[in-house]
Amino acid sequence: MTTEQFFTSAWDWNPWVIAICVIAILIHVARNGFHFSRKIGWLLAGTIIFFLTLASPIDTLANGYLFSAHMLQHLLLLLIIPPLILLSLPPATIPTSFQNGRWQWLNWILRRPLILWFLGVGGMWIWHAPALCNAAVTNVWIHRLQYVSLLLMGFAFWWPIIGPWTKQRLSSLAGMIYLFSACVGCTILGIILTFSPVEVCSIYLRPADRLGILSLIQNQWGLTPAKDQQLGGLLMWVPACLIYFCGILGLFARWHGAAGDETLISESPSKNALMEKSHGR
Amino acid sequence: MNETIKAPVLAATSSAENAPRGLFSWIATVDHKRIGILYLLTALFFFLVGGIEALLIRLQLARPENTFLSPEVYNQVFTMHGTTMVFLVVIPTLIGLANYLIPLMIGARDMAFPRLNALSYWLLPCGGLLLHFSLLAGGAPAAGWFSYAPLSETPYASTQGMDYWILALLILGVGSVAASINLIATILTLRAPGLTIRRLPLFIWMILVNSFMIILALPALNAAIVMLFIDRHLGTNFFQAAHGGSTLLWQHFFWAFGHPEVYIMAIPAFGIISEVIPVFSRRPIFGYEFVAASTVAIGLLSFGVWAHHMFAVGMGHPMDLFFAAASMMIAVPTGIKVFAWSATLWGGSIRLTTALLFAVAFLIQFTIGGLSGITFAVVPIDWQVTDTYYLVAHFHYVLFGGSFFAVFAGLYYWFPKMSGRMLSERLGKLNFWLAVIGFNTAFFVQHFLGLMGMRRRVYTYPDLPGWGALNLISTIGAFLLGISVLVLLWNVAVSLRRGKPAGDNPWNAWTLEWATTSPPPVQNFNQVPPVHGRRPLWDLAHPENPDRSAGNRGAEMNLEKNRVGMVSFLISESFFFVMLILAYLFYNSRAMNGPTPASMLDPQRTGIFTLCLLASSVTFWLADKMLKARKHSAFRWLLALTILLGIIFVVGQGREYLRIFHSGVMVNSNLFATTFFTLTGFHGLHVCVGVIALLILLGLAFAGDLNEGRREAIRSIGYYWHFVDAVWLVVFSVIYLKLLL
Repeated sequence: MTTEQFFTSAWDWNPWVIAICVIAILIHVARNGFHFSRKIGWLLAGTIIFFLTLASPIDTLANGYLFSAHMLQHLLLLLIIPPLILLSLPPATIPTSFQNGRWQWLNWILRRPLILWFLGVGGMWIWHAPALCNAAVTNVWIHRLQYVSLLLMGFAFWWPIIGPWTKQRLSSLAGMIYLFSACVGCTILGIILTFSPVEVCSIYLRPADRLGILSLIQNQWGLTPAKDQQLGGLLMWVPACLIYFCGILGLFARWHGAAGDETLISESPSKNALMEKSHGR
Repeated sequence: MNETIKAPVLAATSSAENAPRGLFSWIATVDHKRIGILYLLTALFFFLVGGIEALLIRLQLARPENTFLSPEVYNQVFTMHGTTMVFLVVIPTLIGLANYLIPLMIGARDMAFPRLNALSYWLLPCGGLLLHFSLLAGGAPAAGWFSYAPLSETPYASTQGMDYWILALLILGVGSVAASINLIATILTLRAPGLTIRRLPLFIWMILVNSFMIILALPALNAAIVMLFIDRHLGTNFFQAAHGGSTLLWQHFFWAFGHPEVYIMAIPAFGIISEVIPVFSRRPIFGYEFVAASTVAIGLLSFGVWAHHMFAVGMGHPMDLFFAAASMMIAVPTGIKVFAWSATLWGGSIRLTTALLFAVAFLIQFTIGGLSGITFAVVPIDWQVTDTYYLVAHFHYVLFGGSFFAVFAGLYYWFPKMSGRMLSERLGKLNFWLAVIGFNTAFFVQHFLGLMGMRRRVYTYPDLPGWGALNLISTIGAFLLGISVLVLLWNVAVSLRRGKPAGDNPWNAWTLEWATTSPPPVQNFNQVPPVHGRRPLWDLAHPENPDRSAGNRGAEMNLEKNRVGMVSFLISESFFFVMLILAYLFYNSRAMNGPTPASMLDPQRTGIFTLCLLASSVTFWLADKMLKARKHSAFRWLLALTILLGIIFVVGQGREYLRIFHSGVMVNSNLFATTFFTLTGFHGLHVCVGVIALLILLGLAFAGDLNEGRREAIRSIGYYWHFVDAVWLVVFSVIYLKLLL
């Protein structure tokens, strides 16, 4: 198989994935009306990347062939898609069901940045324990669990930074520390993966060649298992850190923006409250 | 305490008359201004030493096949030149300036911890002496300022020079970290009312970022040199490939410190420039937010790009690719800064003083150095020119043409404040032109020498076409530069005696340090002027046209200095442990002969002692609660229990060590033993320090000192104790947990 054949044929038009994308966009349009705005831009970016992560050849490669493709998927699910979706949500006040209704327990968690931090950084670490990493490739249900948990942990991690409930967001300085320490945690994991002489995920060492593309990967692309793992570790080390880093710069902009005369992001909840009041009348 | 007033500025009227006099008063001082000046004088002294070493190097290289210096001496001279300039000149100068200026610029009485401040200063001459003592003990270190292993290991560096280098750097590192913790605590907790973080002068912004970088980066160096010291004195093999060690790990550790270090030497210089250019262009800085944000960006990026120093060692394509890309990214925030400075100058009503001349020269020379720096991010070019004179030219453009020129600009700008007298502008211009011509003559030609293939660190070179002439030009430039420094010294000496009196604010500047007398009184301010914006003195002088007020919204931080200091210290400590843990993981993930964790360790027993240590955290937490509730007797008992549990843990660890020793395994048996003892040993040391601190607390508690509140001290010690426990939890999971599962 040639590279071109592979990239044209290895698409998985999974109806669930497409359905989730369509439903997400429909919900957004239903709630906010159809007009081009930054928010729908974030949402489109998020859904397209979500689709590419789970339906494109990345998924095929991650499924037993390349550790680095798995890592790319991991990063997209944990660090890219959740913040894009969260950015597409309009600012909101906390629903009463979360304040003292049956979702109170969830709100209890969402108000604790330390727990959310451990969910986000733990999400990185736990799925790279060798046993879990291998199981996620061999068992399809654990594989799905991995996807879902990564997405959920990603949402949890980014919630206190860009969540729609602006009241619960961390202050900018605290947010920068939150992101920087997460960056350190993920850098350390990246360094360990990059320099580890043993395979973290032994399953990628001798892939079961279901599609007959192993020689394409190893000979034509030159991605031997050793290089593959190094690449995976580096993905976690450098670009992952740059994502946190963008978050820190975003917070910095928000912080300085709040000083100017422009609309204050941190003020929007009170503004919303005012608007709701006037609507109420 | 300082008071804010609404009326126009009332600067302190009494000058430095009531200050104590005499040599001893300088030795015993805890006044940040005197400590700052001591820093600057010490750095100046070492600048002359390092400068003479540089001239010796240039004399040796002035013509081909020269025999002025022997190869051995030449190696020592360039090693000492680099080490001196980095650790004894640039960093002390910048810390000294910050020390003098920060409390004045934020309207504070002194630094947050004046006595710690004196300690961090006195560590500097101590480290400097120790480093130069090596000259009497068989020769100076000769392995370059980065002491690459195995060149720095005993077989290749058999004199004690290397050991003095290690000890000196440890002491200097501790001093720098202590000074940075002090600066962080000062900036975050002692600002005058109204001086919010978003109104801070950019110099302070950059010192703040810089201080964080120091506390994060230096632990990497400290961990590396501690391992090197263990290698040299206990016969272990961290960095000796012949016995399973990794010489590359030294490079990774060193550059994990060394690359942030490069920015540590540059960012305060950016801060000086960001103060000087606006004042002499008579307009506020262009894009304050962007300059501040780009500093944060540079600080963060600098920690993720160190491997670009190692393209030539063969890390493999994936590594090269990622680090080339990340390194190029640094050009963006740096470029933003250069544009902001240029845009401030553009259209300003420029006063071409010596300070501004140096700042403009900085701008040009730093840009040249930055551009040649980007070329190193291109891997094939790096392979071609790394370790040639092209590199030497590059980093001298950044560090001399950049940092030093900024320091000169700052010196001409702030000297009137420090001394009460103006430096002579006439001599200043002479100083400037000699420096610019000398510097560019000395270093610009080195680009060509490097591209022609001249290696750095060679004691001589063959008579190839052009090499002799270019080297001679470079040497002549270096001597011109030397003369310009003499002019500066002459200028300082003359101006101190006969200079024009400066007055409070000779430059019509806008930041708070210019609101008090020159030199400032011991207490700095009698009353701090009100702060409503980024240029408080502009607002005072132009009440009809104040700055657009910025940064007045948002919650002000309410931080306590002891806790800020302790947390900064712990951040630094945690990076030290991260390095040790990474070394443990790195060496133990490979197969090796000799003792292994499984054959040596007793996870059950250690698990029980671990529970003791964790329980001590709980008892301490309860003790703090009791103190809050003013139940003093219960507090003392719980504190004693905490200490007891800590001691039980230390004894348990000691027994584990003894058992391992009895089975014939020592720290140098193999890399498992080495890394195990290093990691757990350093942790045990921290537990012991914690126990001592708790014993002192207990003594204070029995003496009744803690009856009147003073919970902050206890909470700070508590942070330390909980940190030690948390580190052990990680260490335990890394070393023992695998054996239990």
